[in-house]
Amino acid sequence: MAESKLATLDEVRAYIGRKIEESMEIDGTVIKSFCECIGDPNPIWKETAPPGLVTAAMISSGAMLIGVPLPYKRSVAGGADWEFLKPIKKGDKIFTSHEFAELQEKSSDKGPRALMVYKSTHKNQRGEVVAISTNTIMSY
Amino acid sequence: MAQIHYGDVTEGSDIPTLEKTPTTRTLVQWAGASGDFFELHYDKEFAKSMGFPNVLVHGRLEAAYLTQLLTDWIGPKGELKKISLQYRGNAFPGEKLLCKGKVTKKYVKDGQNLVEVEIWVENPAGQRITPGTAVVALPSK
Repeated sequence: MAESKLATLDEVRAYIGRKIEESMEIDGTVIKSFCECIGDPNPIWKETAPPGLVTAAMISSGAMLIGVPLPYKRSVAGGADWEFLKPIKKGDKIFTSHEFAELQEKSSDKGPRALMVYKSTHKNQRGEVVAISTNTIMSY
Repeated sequence: MAQIHYGDVTEGSDIPTLEKTPTTRTLVQWAGASGDFFELHYDKEFAKSMGFPNVLVHGRLEAAYLTQLLTDWIGPKGELKKISLQYRGNAFPGEKLLCKGKVTKKYVKDGQNLVEVEIWVENPAGQRITPGTAVVALPSK
């Protein structure tokens, strides 16, 4: 990421509205690996996935695959919102639509920075929206 | 697991603290479990090239810890509705992180018993590196 050529803010802005779709199956292994990693032994996470699973990159950060170029050399995650609308069950297939939604230009005493906002809508195989994620990447 | 009810909660009360010490192993596990293979979280040279002294704990891993803080607290009949976080500081592997929360508001809306909480991850220096808010629904007795 750090090696790629930097874009102008106008070049970044041209990506607003661009979308990408992806899907993944939530099997028992996905739920188990997630719970083992964070150390969540709660027995209710067998047939139902913990809501935190939506925070996993494979569910809600595929937005990066849109390939929006960075305007500045460094980038970090600035913040995120997650709305959990319906439980995700073992065996569900989650279809996610990621969109590069917004570019906010900021400046501070440390120099210019850009907030790049991505919105992701997650639906299950029945077309029900199970979660909505908003992720902000700060490039500076 | 004990079930907490709406009537048990008062504004200003604390949520039981959840303690986590992610190691470099945890970060690799998280990369695999979550699909985030950004080098900043496992390649120290890369992290240094970006101006950090060490690899960073994934912000999303902290988010996942905070969801566990809440699901542990609300019990099997509670529902986590929403969380909103800001990544203000960095956590490094090996640091003990305290996930904490405090009830800020409770109200009934559309037949649901909603509780708003302030949540955060605190580093060993006592700084709130990942502050945020959450909304949960709790059952009545």
